[in-house]
Amino acid sequence: MNPVLPQEAVEFAGTARRAFESLGGVDVARRAEADPDSREDVAKLLADLGVDELDPLADPEQAAAAAALCEAAGRVALPYPVGGVVLRSAAGLPVAAVPAAPVRVDHGDLFDMWLACGPAGETMPARAVGAPLGTRLGPFVTDLEPVGGAAEDVLDPASGQALLAWWLTLSAWTILGGLDRAVELATAHAQDRIQFGQPLTAFQTVRFQLADAAIAVAGLRELALFTLWRLHAAPDHAWPDVVALRSHALDVARPVLRATQQLHGASGLCDEVDICVLVRHLQPALRLPAGAEDTARELAAAIATDGFDGLFPHGATAGDRTSA
Amino acid sequence: MDFDLGEEAALLRGRLRALIDANMPPGFLGAFTDDPSDLATTQEFCALLAREGLLTVAWPTEYGGQGGSVWAQTVVREEMWAHHEPRGAQYMGLNWVGPAIMAFGDDEQKRRHLPPIAEGSVIWCQGFSEPDAGSDLAALSTRATEDGDGWRLRGQKIWTSYAGMAQWCVLAARVGPGERHEGITMFLVPMDAPGITVVPIESMLGPHHLNEVFLDDVPVGPDGLLGEVGGGWSVIRRALAHERVGIARYARCERLLSLMAGELRATAGRLPDHLAVQWARALTQVRVARLLAYRAVLAQEAGGPPDAAASAARIAVTRCDQLVAELLFQVLAERSLEAGPSAPLAGAIEDHWRYAQAATVASGTLEVQQMIVAKDLLGRSR
Repeated sequence: MNPVLPQEAVEFAGTARRAFESLGGVDVARRAEADPDSREDVAKLLADLGVDELDPLADPEQAAAAAALCEAAGRVALPYPVGGVVLRSAAGLPVAAVPAAPVRVDHGDLFDMWLACGPAGETMPARAVGAPLGTRLGPFVTDLEPVGGAAEDVLDPASGQALLAWWLTLSAWTILGGLDRAVELATAHAQDRIQFGQPLTAFQTVRFQLADAAIAVAGLRELALFTLWRLHAAPDHAWPDVVALRSHALDVARPVLRATQQLHGASGLCDEVDICVLVRHLQPALRLPAGAEDTARELAAAIATDGFDGLFPHGATAGDRTSA
Repeated sequence: MDFDLGEEAALLRGRLRALIDANMPPGFLGAFTDDPSDLATTQEFCALLAREGLLTVAWPTEYGGQGGSVWAQTVVREEMWAHHEPRGAQYMGLNWVGPAIMAFGDDEQKRRHLPPIAEGSVIWCQGFSEPDAGSDLAALSTRATEDGDGWRLRGQKIWTSYAGMAQWCVLAARVGPGERHEGITMFLVPMDAPGITVVPIESMLGPHHLNEVFLDDVPVGPDGLLGEVGGGWSVIRRALAHERVGIARYARCERLLSLMAGELRATAGRLPDHLAVQWARALTQVRVARLLAYRAVLAQEAGGPPDAAASAARIAVTRCDQLVAELLFQVLAERSLEAGPSAPLAGAIEDHWRYAQAATVASGTLEVQQMIVAKDLLGRSR
């Protein structure tokens, strides 16, 4: 039992966090909205970090480094599809987990071609079409159009499912980073903000909201670590674990983002305040390729078919006294 | 990175399940029922565990224990709670009274009290809460006054679990005029001492669980003082820290979900989609609670202050207890209120629902745990 990220991954994450801070932290997301081409600076920085060399499927150490990188990206709403780029295809295409229709992905406009991964793990090369949505909640969400592709980019279903599993897991680590930062921001704001002659944290109801948000994020972190371990320790049985992580990340995100933004009062709605940018830029990750309720339904189906690792058997073998 | 508890833990889990299967009657729901044979069953099972060397897995070898790893101890907590605590009321003596006597007791106290706990032959209760000292335990007012070379206890305890079955009580009282933590002192008191009156409190938890204990000039010899006069708060902190990690409620939640799913399968019952989705989410919550509990175990093992991690785990675990209770009642629908052997799962779900309501109160309320987590969060932010 050793449920901690390897030291190399922790150090790599530290380097990534410092690098992202050097771009201005959350300002990097504000800048991207004003000047979408500024995302090229992020691409260069990621290349300098050696992201092109990372292969999370290769071994647990690289998986941990990729996860920690995605978490660091989530903390600053990094305007770049880090997980998809880390999971590039054999032909070097970035990977996008996409809904059945419309086929769309965040920052789809950054690359001409993607390897799109559908809900059942089916893969297809896809071309970015049209301009990004440009909305406040999905500034860079872009539609893709499947096209015929080279054989090396059309994976067998098992490989496609594995790629989907990794994409969802890395995406959950990005969400984790955003939520963790949201709790830090709300805590600091509540300590600084004086109302009725005292800091907001003097009010027990505020303390309780912060505590609940922190516990929710702590629980998501444990689940993210566990799932990362399962993907290498039991790759053939980890699909329900991945969907559980995705489902839990979405379930936790709603109350945590709501509470942390609420604690900022009206300022939390302003783009000059970091929580607002975090909340807006996390939305694509929370809605694509599927939202909380669809994901929970997928989880129920996955458990019924494949069971759920734990102290007692679940799914098809539930109730057996001898197996677990 | 590794989440496997290891081979030692897996073997221990297998041994415990085999012993429970072979020795506990079907439908056993704990020692605190109207049927006195349930208490007898737990007493026999404790003695059996002692003979098998499994009662004191957590204890150091110098006190006759197995010196088991924290993960072996975790497995014991999980399997016992999952199977409705076949050790009955004795878990308290094993989990923290024994270790507190090891840490704070003198040689004679260790010689006298540790062997009966290790043999599984004695029940201890804990005299902490009072009518005006619940969450705010340092407000306790039960007094101990010197009487010759011993002491006299006067006051009242409340919510004292198992007081009606216990032979001994570890009891907090105040010595001298001090306030708050000052003067709080710990005593080891035989429950058959003159001046002790136990009055059961009727509750939704069933018989024996909640009691009032009245102390009317109860004599305690000099050998009843545990640790130093005024040193009781250290003992209480140790006890409460242990309790926070102590109960592996998630394990019973998971077992009940597994058993109920098996029951539905056997009867070709099918959950409506909305309950199947709630079920999947509940299993995830149970896993999260277990992982947070493991984090608290690691924090304790590392020797750091366990408070925030333990409180976070406790909040997650107790909320998960209530979540699963409510879900299973939704599943049982019109049969949810049935109790006893003819009820679904022999009444285990009805029993679980009632106990789950107490989960966010017992051993420190949810709100106290939230305050501990918030204090830690604010401390780290500055």
